[in-house]
Amino acid sequence: MVSQRHSVCLIIPAYNEAAVIAEVIKNLNKAFSKTKFIYEIVVIDDGSKDDTAKISKTAGAHVIQHILNVGSGGATATGLSYAKQSGYTIAATLDADGQHNVKDVIKGIELMNEGAADLLIGSRLIDSEGMSRIKVVGNRGLSMITFLTFGVKVTDSQSGLRIFSKKALENLKWKTAGYEFCSEMLWRAKQQGLAIKEYPIKAIYTEYSQSKGQNNWNAINIVRSLIQRRIVEMFE
Amino acid sequence: MRYIILVLLVAPIVLLAFINIVTQYKLGKISRSRFRHQMVLWLTIIIVVIGSFPIYNYSVGKPLLDSSELSLFDIAQTVAIVYLVYIINNHRRKIEQNEHTIRDLHQEISIRLSKKDGKS
Repeated sequence: MVSQRHSVCLIIPAYNEAAVIAEVIKNLNKAFSKTKFIYEIVVIDDGSKDDTAKISKTAGAHVIQHILNVGSGGATATGLSYAKQSGYTIAATLDADGQHNVKDVIKGIELMNEGAADLLIGSRLIDSEGMSRIKVVGNRGLSMITFLTFGVKVTDSQSGLRIFSKKALENLKWKTAGYEFCSEMLWRAKQQGLAIKEYPIKAIYTEYSQSKGQNNWNAINIVRSLIQRRIVEMFE
Repeated sequence: MRYIILVLLVAPIVLLAFINIVTQYKLGKISRSRFRHQMVLWLTIIIVVIGSFPIYNYSVGKPLLDSSELSLFDIAQTVAIVYLVYIINNHRRKIEQNEHTIRDLHQEISIRLSKKDGKS
């Protein structure tokens, strides 16, 4: 069990991210060691075929290895379950490709610490400068679909940078395991009566993160899964 | 007479479904919202089946709705469809429960192994 005061669990779901994961962990460690927070970096290796787990461990993270590759949603759920079991008061999830600025992560955690919301989303689309036009269209489209299917209005429903309060850690559960969990999580948060808010962030787009990000074909798959989930749940 | 046969054949399936839903709910295996939705689904089915005779009587002779009377084949087909809905519905619930169990198990094993690994 960790101390209740300012304890933060930084969760990084990762799949074949050996090339950049050490740098992400190093940057987090460097920045968070200067803050008031007690923190732990947890990498959820979602059945990677490369050395993601080994490199993460060497870089100083606590590594949870999935035996099977279940998807981003499943890896995030494992991370949040670990944070809950370990008694953390705040948890943050961020992408393993290094697209999130550590300053934005700290800003989000500070906002959460002030009680800003139960689920805080770092939105890349409040100011989308630097993001390719096709990604802006894709992400805005998915946010629109999220609103139409679940009635949750946010600007960036697919953002990987999310901060969770203790209440959210204890109550949030979702069913999908793939990327569609981003939208489903918002729906579940709404159903649980959790306060959802956004704050602006600036994503760092490198050649690597551009190549690893979701493509618009995957967006079609997400839309299909979301509509399917919504219909199925009408009979539940 | 044929409408009575249809109701008599469908009623046990719907009754079975009701018993199933209430039992699952009382045992805490399904949520209140799922219980409510399932009750509405099966109530709708039984109301439509019971109401099929007056609906047929009303529609007979009307240009767009006029159709031939219920045949034995229609009865068999309707009962089969209702029975299939019952089976599919049950199987989907079981599959979802199993999926949930496997996911939780995988999650828990991964966390426990990581803690064990951290201690050694």
